[in-house]
Amino acid sequence: MEINSSNITQKVQDFLNSPAITEPTRKALIERIEKANGTNRFFTDYSFNLLSILCDRLMDQDPEDRIVNIALFIDDRLAENTCDGWRYSDMPPDNEMYRKGLKGVDEAASIMFDKNFTELEKEAQIKALEAIQDGTAKGDTWKTLPSKRFFEELLAETTEIFFSFPLVQLKIGYAGMADAAGWKKIGLNESENIETFVSNNFKNSIS
Amino acid sequence: MRKYLNTEVVDAVVIGTGAGGAPIISRLAKAGLKVVALEAGKYWHPQKDFATDEREQSKLVWNYERLSGGKDPVPFGRNNSGIGVGGSTLLYTAYTPRPHPDDFKINTEFGVGKDWPIGYDDLEPYFDELEVFLGVSGPTPYPWGPPRKVNYPLPPLPLNGAAQLMKRGCEELDIKTSPAANAILSSPYFQEHVGWRNTCTNRGFCQAGCSTGAKASTDVTFIPLAIHFGAEIRTECFATQLQVDKKGKITGVVYLINGVEERQFCKNVFLCAGAIETPRLLLINNLGNSSGQVGKNFMANTGIQVWGEFDEIIHPYKGIPASLISEDMHRPKNVNFASGYLLQSIGVMPVTYISQLVRSTGAWGKELRNRMNAYNQVAGINMHGECLPSQENFLELSDESDQLGLPKPRIYFTVENNGKRLGEHAERLMKEIWEVAGAKNRFTVHRNAHTIGTCRMGSDGDNAVVNAEGKSFDIPNLYICDNSIFPSSLTVNPSLTIMAVALRIADKFLRK
Repeated sequence: MEINSSNITQKVQDFLNSPAITEPTRKALIERIEKANGTNRFFTDYSFNLLSILCDRLMDQDPEDRIVNIALFIDDRLAENTCDGWRYSDMPPDNEMYRKGLKGVDEAASIMFDKNFTELEKEAQIKALEAIQDGTAKGDTWKTLPSKRFFEELLAETTEIFFSFPLVQLKIGYAGMADAAGWKKIGLNESENIETFVSNNFKNSIS
Repeated sequence: MRKYLNTEVVDAVVIGTGAGGAPIISRLAKAGLKVVALEAGKYWHPQKDFATDEREQSKLVWNYERLSGGKDPVPFGRNNSGIGVGGSTLLYTAYTPRPHPDDFKINTEFGVGKDWPIGYDDLEPYFDELEVFLGVSGPTPYPWGPPRKVNYPLPPLPLNGAAQLMKRGCEELDIKTSPAANAILSSPYFQEHVGWRNTCTNRGFCQAGCSTGAKASTDVTFIPLAIHFGAEIRTECFATQLQVDKKGKITGVVYLINGVEERQFCKNVFLCAGAIETPRLLLINNLGNSSGQVGKNFMANTGIQVWGEFDEIIHPYKGIPASLISEDMHRPKNVNFASGYLLQSIGVMPVTYISQLVRSTGAWGKELRNRMNAYNQVAGINMHGECLPSQENFLELSDESDQLGLPKPRIYFTVENNGKRLGEHAERLMKEIWEVAGAKNRFTVHRNAHTIGTCRMGSDGDNAVVNAEGKSFDIPNLYICDNSIFPSSLTVNPSLTIMAVALRIADKFLRK
C-alpha cells in the first residue's frame, strides 16, 4: 500500500513507504492520514467547529494552520459508538459528555466574556479553559457535569489523538514506528541511523 | 484444529484464553480430554496483523465499557484488560518475577489481608516448568528469594537507557539492582509442539502487542500446544450463561457468536475470564455466591511511577520496557506499613506517556508541546507493591447495559491505608533515585495495576468462592482460575503465578 496524499511532503511519503516501516504499520499510519481529510458525522457544524477550536487550544495548534483536525477523530469515534473500555462512574456516557461539555464551554465563555467561545480572542479562550480545568467555571452545565473531569477526559482524548498522528510524531523526533529491522543500539546516547534521519529531517520542521 | 459439535458433551469448556485459561486448556487437552475454549476476541497473526502503532493496536483492548468509581478510580481498557486469544497477556509487559514464600502469608506475618491456602512450595515445580516452557530470560543466580532448583533457560535481555539510569541512581544509594526476569526470548527458542519462536528485536512494544512472537503471550505458547493436542479454540464467542440442572451442576455454556446464541454442552466449566468478567458472569447468572464474596476484595497493585527528563538521549521506546529490577524493598525494615514492593525501570511508547502525563500533571497548550518535545530524553522508574483487600473495593452490576444487553460492571477502588503509606515510601525513594540519576521536570503518576481478588480462593466456603484447587464451593463442576482467585495481591507482577496456579488446578483436576 503506497501513500499518495497531496498534503504530505514527498520526504514524509518516501519515509512512510520505506523498508524501515513494516506493512501493518504503514497501512495503519496511511489510513490515519487519509482519515484526517474526512468531515463531521456526529456533531453539528457549529459544535464541530467549537470542538475543533477547543482541541487546537489544548494542543497549541493554530486553527489556520493545523497539522491535524483532532475533532474529526472524536467525531468519528462517537459516530461509530466505540469506546476505550471504561469511563468514570460519575460521568455520563461519552456522547452525552461531549454534548453537555460543549454547551458548558459556551456558557462559561458567555458568563466570563459575554461572547461564545469561538468568538473570543485566543487569550480569553485560554482563560475560559483554565477556569473549566480548575473547576471555577460558571454555568448551569457544570452543576451536573463535573468540569474538572470533563476537562481531563477531553484533554486526554485530544492528546492521544494528536500524538498518534504520524506528522506530529515525526515532529517530536519519534522514530519508533520505523522498527522493521528492530533496534540494536538501545543504551544511553545511542541513536541509530533511522533515528538520526528522523531527527534531522522531521523534528520541529513539519508544518 | 479439531472441532466439536455443540451437542457433544465435551469434558470441559474453558472461558478465556489468557494466563488463567490457556495453561488449563493445554494441560487437559494433552491428557486426552475434549476441551472447547471460548474466547470473546479474535485469534491474531502477529507478524501480519500487529502494527507498531499504539492507536491501531487498541484492537487488543477489552473495550466493553466498565464504570470506574471510588476515590481512586482504576482506569480499565489498555491499562489492564486485553481481548483476543492470549487475553491480557497480549498486552502484558511479561515481567515474570517469582513470588516469595512470604507473599502467601501476609496475614500470619502482619495480621492484615489474607493468607493463601497454598504456598510457594506447592507452586515451585510449576515455576520451574513455566520458566523453561515460556523461555524466561533472566539472571542466574537470581539475587532475591529462596534458592532455585532450575535456572533461567536464557540469559537476561539487554538494558536500555531507562535501565541504565535506574542502575546509576540505585548504585549511588546502595540499592542492589539486577537484570530482570522476563518471559521474552533473548535468543531463538524451540518448544515441542509449539515450534520455533524468534528473539526479541527491542521494539519495546510489549504492551501493545508483540509482532515477533518473542514475548510469551499465551497465543504463541500454550494455545498452539493445546491445539496440537486436540483442543478447539472458538473465537468471537462471548459467554453469557452457565446452565445449571436441578442438582446444581452445570450442563452447558450459552454464548453469543455474531449476535446469535449457541450452547455447548459440557461436563465441567473452567471460568478464566479475568477479575472483572469472571465475577460479572457469576453475578449476572446469580451463581456460585453463597459466600457473598463474588465481586468483593477487589485489589490492584500499587504501581506508582516517577518520570523525568535527562540530558542523555534515551529514545524510551526501545528495548523491553523493564529490563532492570530491585527487590530490596520486598520486606523493608523499620517502616510503617505491611509487606513491600519492588522497583523496575520503565521505557514507554509515546501515546501512553503523553496520556499519563496529561492526566497526572494537567499540562496542556504550549507547556504540553514543550514537554513532549523532550520525549526522546524521558525515562521512568516504577514500583509494584502490595494492595490489601478492603470493604470499600468491590465490583457490582450497574443499571446500565452494554451493546450486548448485559449489565455493565461498576468497580469501586480507593487506595487503602496500608497502600497509601507503602506508596508514599516508594514515591520518596523513587524521586531520590531519579534525582541522583539526573532527572529534571520530575512528575509522579499515581496508578494501580492489574485486577485481582474478586473470586478469592480459601479453605472455608463462608468467606471464599473457590477452594485451594480452584473448585467452586457451590457448584461441583465449576472451577475458576485467573487473577480473581488470588486472596492477596502479591508484591510481584501476577502473571507467572496465575499460570502456575492454573497448571496446578489442571493437575489436581486430572488426578480426580
